[in-house]
Amino acid sequence: MADSKEKMYYYILFDNYTQGMALQGYLREAKIPSRISPAPRCIQGELGCGMSILFQPEDLERVEACIAQHQAEYHDIVLLENQINPRRNRFC
Amino acid sequence: MANYVEMWKDLGMDLETHDALCQVLPTAFGDVYLSQENRPESMDFWDMVVADIHGIRPAELIEAQKNGQKVFGTFCIYVPDEIVIAANGIVTGLCGGSQFWVSGGEKVLPKSTCPLIKASVGARLDRTCPFFRIADMYVGETTCDGKKKAWEILGRDVPMHIMDIPQMKREKDIRKWAEEITDFAAVVEVFTGNEIEPEKLKEAIHIVNEKRKALARVFEARKAKNIPISGKDALLMMQIAFFDDPVRCAQMTNRLADELEQRIQDGASVFPAGTKRIMVTGTPMAIPNWKLHHIIETSGAAVVCEETCTGTRYFERLVDESRETLEEQYQALAERYMGINCACFTPNTGRIEDILRLAKEYNVDGVIDVNLKFCCLYDTEGYTVEAALKEAGIPVLGIETDYDDADAEQLRTRIEAFVEMLG
Repeated sequence: MADSKEKMYYYILFDNYTQGMALQGYLREAKIPSRISPAPRCIQGELGCGMSILFQPEDLERVEACIAQHQAEYHDIVLLENQINPRRNRFC
Repeated sequence: MANYVEMWKDLGMDLETHDALCQVLPTAFGDVYLSQENRPESMDFWDMVVADIHGIRPAELIEAQKNGQKVFGTFCIYVPDEIVIAANGIVTGLCGGSQFWVSGGEKVLPKSTCPLIKASVGARLDRTCPFFRIADMYVGETTCDGKKKAWEILGRDVPMHIMDIPQMKREKDIRKWAEEITDFAAVVEVFTGNEIEPEKLKEAIHIVNEKRKALARVFEARKAKNIPISGKDALLMMQIAFFDDPVRCAQMTNRLADELEQRIQDGASVFPAGTKRIMVTGTPMAIPNWKLHHIIETSGAAVVCEETCTGTRYFERLVDESRETLEEQYQALAERYMGINCACFTPNTGRIEDILRLAKEYNVDGVIDVNLKFCCLYDTEGYTVEAALKEAGIPVLGIETDYDDADAEQLRTRIEAFVEMLG
């Protein structure tokens, strides 16, 4: 995943990790690039699951088609400015 | 992780302070892990575990407790998981790897204590980690002075058993460790209410051996010329291995190893060809301590092996599964565990031999010997480690650091210079 600040990413949010892992499996089968990510706090809110799926904007249509095909459950899809900065030097 | 709030409340956690850690985790994980290209797909499992690290596994442990199982929290790889598993107990690692817990530890420990101990004590006393709240009994050991004193403080707050580890590796020391294991088994039997029988212990030994074999397969794949997995991802797999169910751990790790072996055949790598290969030696890196690996792997090098407790020391060598009686099995466990080469032993020539062997096996270009600040044992042994590596013609860089962000750029400068020097 690129790290330029202008880059936008989509995060798929879930009510539970079972939903998330199921959809990630479908995305893998369809060879749509995606990664499991802890949901950024700014979009997680009071949602029940810490896991999200991260994908690039150019794959939005394919992701939506994959969700529709499998009737995959999810909570929301949120577009967010790039949160990834490998030179931030902020560790846990 | 909002749906676990009720569980955390029931555990008596300090939700406000805990939330500070929860806020930073997604950012740190994204920076360290999601900035990588071409990761193995099987890392999905570990990414998911981290995303809900204080939710999914703690909920499983609480469910197991409701069904009568006991959870034992451990801090050292000399404590044999097999004993707990044989008594239908569950082991969870408790070593603290976060800077968020350090200040809590400093309330009761000298500042000049290593960050791992401070974080572990802080996580318990500040009530900011569910694993520390869930564990029914802590199992300590006498591997260093800092830990010995920390157990006295933790022991006021939670049931504690301490295993007295020998300081040398003579035959009589191995016998002594077998006796300690026997005593530990008796404690576990009383605490769980379950008798440890030879058949159950045999099965437990097999379960843990299978986990060791799976972890070893992943490390074997890291020896390949085209490196199929980053050091950061391998470290994450190792860190989670301390928390996960051992059977599931072996299953998921074998799945990862399958993919890595395929990637080697396909020539797939996380790094460009010619990336310098680094072995990290020294002190353990408990989750979520990803700092040094991240700095190394964003400085033009790749970590291909860790000679640490969160690396080869955890899985190398198996326990003999052929022993039939409890006495023989305890002896077999003692033989395997006393084969781990920790700096707490004197003399500790076995560790030097391990380092030189691993440097060759993993075809490393250089070694970074890292010690957590105030770890007197590994810091002192660093002299011998560096001398042996220099004599063998292997470049080595000695580093002392802790969990704090403050020295990250300074470390990066030193590591970049070291990698450049490797040519």
